[in-house]
Amino acid sequence: MRLPRFDYLEPANLEETLDLLSTHRDDVKILAGGTDLLVRMKKGLLKPKKLISLKALDELSYIKEENGVIKIGSRTSLSDIIHSNLIQKKAEALFQACEKIGAVTIQHCRGTIGGNILQDNRCHHYNQSEFHRSGRQACHKDGGKICYARDEADRCNSTCQSDGATALMAIGANLTLAQKGGERTVDLDNFYTTDGIMPFAMESHELLKEIAIPIQGAKSAYKRLAYRSAIDYPIVCAGVLLKPSDTDKNKIADARIVVGAMGRAPLFLAKASSSLKGKNLTDKDAFKNAADISMNSAAPFAVHNVGATLEYRCDMVFEMVFQALEQAAIAVKK
Amino acid sequence: MEKIQITLDINNKPYDVRVYPNDTLLEVLRDELDLTGSKESCGEGVCGSCTVHMDGKPVRSCLTLALEAVGSKIKTVEGLASGEDLSDLQQSFIDHGAVQCGFCTPGMLMSADALLNVNPRPDEKTIRKALAGNICRCTGYAKIVEAVAHAGNPQDHCPDCKTGSKTVSKTKE
Repeated sequence: MRLPRFDYLEPANLEETLDLLSTHRDDVKILAGGTDLLVRMKKGLLKPKKLISLKALDELSYIKEENGVIKIGSRTSLSDIIHSNLIQKKAEALFQACEKIGAVTIQHCRGTIGGNILQDNRCHHYNQSEFHRSGRQACHKDGGKICYARDEADRCNSTCQSDGATALMAIGANLTLAQKGGERTVDLDNFYTTDGIMPFAMESHELLKEIAIPIQGAKSAYKRLAYRSAIDYPIVCAGVLLKPSDTDKNKIADARIVVGAMGRAPLFLAKASSSLKGKNLTDKDAFKNAADISMNSAAPFAVHNVGATLEYRCDMVFEMVFQALEQAAIAVKK
Repeated sequence: MEKIQITLDINNKPYDVRVYPNDTLLEVLRDELDLTGSKESCGEGVCGSCTVHMDGKPVRSCLTLALEAVGSKIKTVEGLASGEDLSDLQQSFIDHGAVQCGFCTPGMLMSADALLNVNPRPDEKTIRKALAGNICRCTGYAKIVEAVAHAGNPQDHCPDCKTGSKTVSKTKE
């Protein structure tokens, strides 16, 4: 499969990169590891006139702890995250998610955390070859007015299958988006639009610069279900965070449950999360109840477009959330 | 769009080549430099048959632009043997029948070589994890795992290839 033609730009530093982004805007795309972008380009889903390579931007590759916050540069490779003691100990869900992304050959230097968060939404009606798509009318994401995943849908229902984003949302991460002359910080909770065509609330001249994770004295866990242990995207995944009470270590003071691969964005489930407040860490019934609420809350968002049947994926939301809660509870008790 | 002159360091030899920005490393290796050991199968990073090393780490050459490989030390499957002498890993693949149609073998070898370089005595779980990104539709993987295990421990007795042990050390859970 040949890539379509494009011009290749290799800025030497962040300033030059933001300059180029501000000049070319919609004509360019950012190339970090390329494991998502180049595949889409090969399938003719995307034909940017120019690619800006982040190859020389080593300044965006770091993991550090500052004032109770873990900061990760957007171009940091998944391999660096997996091997970081800081991430393994204080952002368990992110470590467990990154370990599952792609395979060793993807995680080493090619796959980056920024690329994983910003990977495009997927749908098995859309992520097909040009030949396959040419045999029928274009769907919403392909520039048409039809959704093959949900009858009479007025918008694109493609699914966000990012492992990293689901785990990061669970542990309350926020993103720093840089543009020429400034930058802004946005909570991952507020980073998504409700549109599958352009799922991220960011402009074409903005660059994801940094991911910040607050250390909250809590423990997190991530579980995912996929057909193949390597390479495959999750068909359901869940990230959870459990914060024990300061006065009683066995009680849950706060919880966050996020379910991924079930909608246009990772879903923070407020009702399921708050149902755990004040509950005991050994209370399996409370976990089952939260997993049950998660399943009921997430199901309406999902459409049948990432492989397994919708019914199976909905059932598995319960399993993923319950398993992740159990794992996080064990980590808190240690 | 014009061709760009670059120099690639492949198997410790410099190669001057003119490439388009949209040429992948795999296309340059196979079509321009005649290094046809690396194979293209899926072309989208799923199968692993195009695996090569960049600075000692296994990467998908079908998803790496040739321009992105400039400045890195690249090793392809052609760089494993010294002349006519196969590497221990290659010999072990032959001895254990780890090759059937052979199309996945260059990728398997490169992923396994990268593992053995950092972990010379891997257990079965480690080997299977390192090779999880490589698909083989013939062997059922068992022979490949045995071949990699033996290549890491060539001194052990092996009834299969007469020079080493067929037994793969089981993972301690």
